[in-house]
Amino acid sequence: MSAIEWGYGINAPRTMDLDRNDIGPAREILAEMPEWGACIACGGCTATCTAGNLTSFNFRRVHTLVKRGEYAGAWAEMNKCMLCGKCRLVCPRGINTRGVVRLIKRKLGDY
Amino acid sequence: MEMTFYSGFVIPFIVGTSVLFAVILYKYVRWMARLPRRDKLLVWRRMFSVATLKGLWECFTECLLHRRIWRVNPLLGYMHTAFALGWFLLIVVGWVETVAYLGWRFVPLQGHIFFDYFTQGMDHGPRWGIDFELIMDILLLYVLSGLALAVFKRFRSRSLGMKRTTRLTLGDRTAMGALWFVFPMRLLAESFPSQLPLWWGYSIALGVFFVAMPFSRYMHIFTEIPLIFLRRWGIRSEAGREKSFDHFQLEACSRCGVCIDPCQLQRDAGFWNVQSAYFIRDRRYNNLTRYVADNCLLCGRCQRSCPVGLELDTLRLGSRWTLSGAPSNGRFNYARGVDLSSGAAGSGDRRVGYFAGCMTLLSPRILRAMERIFDAAGEPVWWADRDGGVCCGRPLKLSGDLDAARDMMRMNTELFRNHCITMLVTSCPICLRVFREDYRLDTGVDGPKIEVLHHSEYFARLIAEGRLTLKEVGSQLFTYHDPCELGRGCGIYDAPREIIAAVGSLVEPTETRSKALCCGSSLANTAINDIAQVRMAQTVGRDFEATGAATLVTACPLCKKALARGTSLPVQDLAEIIEHHLA
Repeated sequence: MSAIEWGYGINAPRTMDLDRNDIGPAREILAEMPEWGACIACGGCTATCTAGNLTSFNFRRVHTLVKRGEYAGAWAEMNKCMLCGKCRLVCPRGINTRGVVRLIKRKLGDY
Repeated sequence: MEMTFYSGFVIPFIVGTSVLFAVILYKYVRWMARLPRRDKLLVWRRMFSVATLKGLWECFTECLLHRRIWRVNPLLGYMHTAFALGWFLLIVVGWVETVAYLGWRFVPLQGHIFFDYFTQGMDHGPRWGIDFELIMDILLLYVLSGLALAVFKRFRSRSLGMKRTTRLTLGDRTAMGALWFVFPMRLLAESFPSQLPLWWGYSIALGVFFVAMPFSRYMHIFTEIPLIFLRRWGIRSEAGREKSFDHFQLEACSRCGVCIDPCQLQRDAGFWNVQSAYFIRDRRYNNLTRYVADNCLLCGRCQRSCPVGLELDTLRLGSRWTLSGAPSNGRFNYARGVDLSSGAAGSGDRRVGYFAGCMTLLSPRILRAMERIFDAAGEPVWWADRDGGVCCGRPLKLSGDLDAARDMMRMNTELFRNHCITMLVTSCPICLRVFREDYRLDTGVDGPKIEVLHHSEYFARLIAEGRLTLKEVGSQLFTYHDPCELGRGCGIYDAPREIIAAVGSLVEPTETRSKALCCGSSLANTAINDIAQVRMAQTVGRDFEATGAATLVTACPLCKKALARGTSLPVQDLAEIIEHHLA
């Protein structure tokens, strides 16, 4: 008996297992850029983002996921950044956001 | 008289000289052979032109007289000239002296250098009516006076106009130590020509110096000569790759340290190992780290002061490309064909486009001012990126991603061409520089010519044409900050000053125009944190506050934001003060 085709389904489970995630690369990035830890996830960076204005690129989302060890797709997403530097100017915590972008690209090229 | 020109003590000298010339020959031949074909053609084409004569003259004024160092500080200049010109003349007059006393005959190299030893017992009175002994003694004294200054400089560099000098490598110290011994030993040996140990000392000092020279900073003595000629023949370093020509630049750096004092990262932010002298050193000895390559504002202050005229910014960009550049692989395809522009662009042969640039988009006051000024001048404008657009590409270029930057350039060029503009105005000097240097919009190479103007030039033109009338609003005192990309980058110093003079009076800070300080937030630096940026902005800010001006004016949206963090003065863009004075 085949299942009824409803035209929609249930979302795949989206749990993050922080105990299993490999935090190593994120720690390495944090060690090189300690100020990254000061992020309050306000989203100012994403709101001003030049790339985000043209596509679904969301810097806050990607770097927050990276911080939690979720690296899948992070490198490809970060490749959309044009390094224009607006995010750094609006960051209320004064984080070197362009430095974070470059570090994520450098450390997570394999994921 | 039969002379053998041989004694045991000449061996260190002979060995040193042989090593020196073998290494130099090996290096130069290798670098020349590896020049790209285009550069080799340039060499052949320009070798027999007036450029070569100009090069010869520059060799005389720079390699011997060190004119550019005299401009840094006269004592420092004297010291360098004493070594270079003094030693050169000692060699030349020494050769003439040999001919005068021994006639036209073959004399091996050591015969010239140790002339006084091999001609003991000979009458050293004047020949041809010239007292060679006296001339040689005076020349040696001249070099020794330079040496005395050099030793003094080690302890009190401030007296020679340098607050900080370069930290030297072991090779540098070895060569320098030997060099310091060469001339006093020569004086002693020539004073007591019969004392063999003194000649041994002189010869060993020379030998050690010559062996250490090609591996130390003293390689600049010879390398500046080919560098001058290659430069005169039109060969340049490139931002997008490391070239064979770079070797000439790297080894022509004498690590004199003139670049260290102007560096604000050293002066205000406490970074002491990233300055151009150290960057060049690290790259030359193949231990350049990403940190050193990235930690530079590319403000151009060191390049402006470099006595050898090295392309320091371009060399650093080349290294950044090597360390982190990657092919673009279409990663910006998402932005292809994006057109969020608005407005019409006039008609006929005057169609003006305005490119705000990312930083201006973050400064609504500048945008509003631009809008009102365009209105007041009755200029119909096409707004290229008011609702967002693609970055100009300069930030990517500055971080070494030149291939990706070219994607941005292609997309923007296409956008400009689609709208058939004849003039492109921008209020961001960062965009301006990349438009002028890389886009080649005004060459007419790939499409009709598009004139690129910074808004300061555009305003000055409007005022001159009488299309913009400004009114005096009381007598206001302004001070002006030259943005690096606008001043040293594009050579625009006067247009902003004309505009300020039209609405008030201007007082200059201590370091201005081509010596102007950087705001500290340059996009070129991805290594420093917020604290360092603010510290630099505060130092610059104090300089402006000391002028007593009521308002600090700048012509770059990024400088405006950066300076506002470092000073209590109100900071305004040129567009804002014009808007305020619109009749």
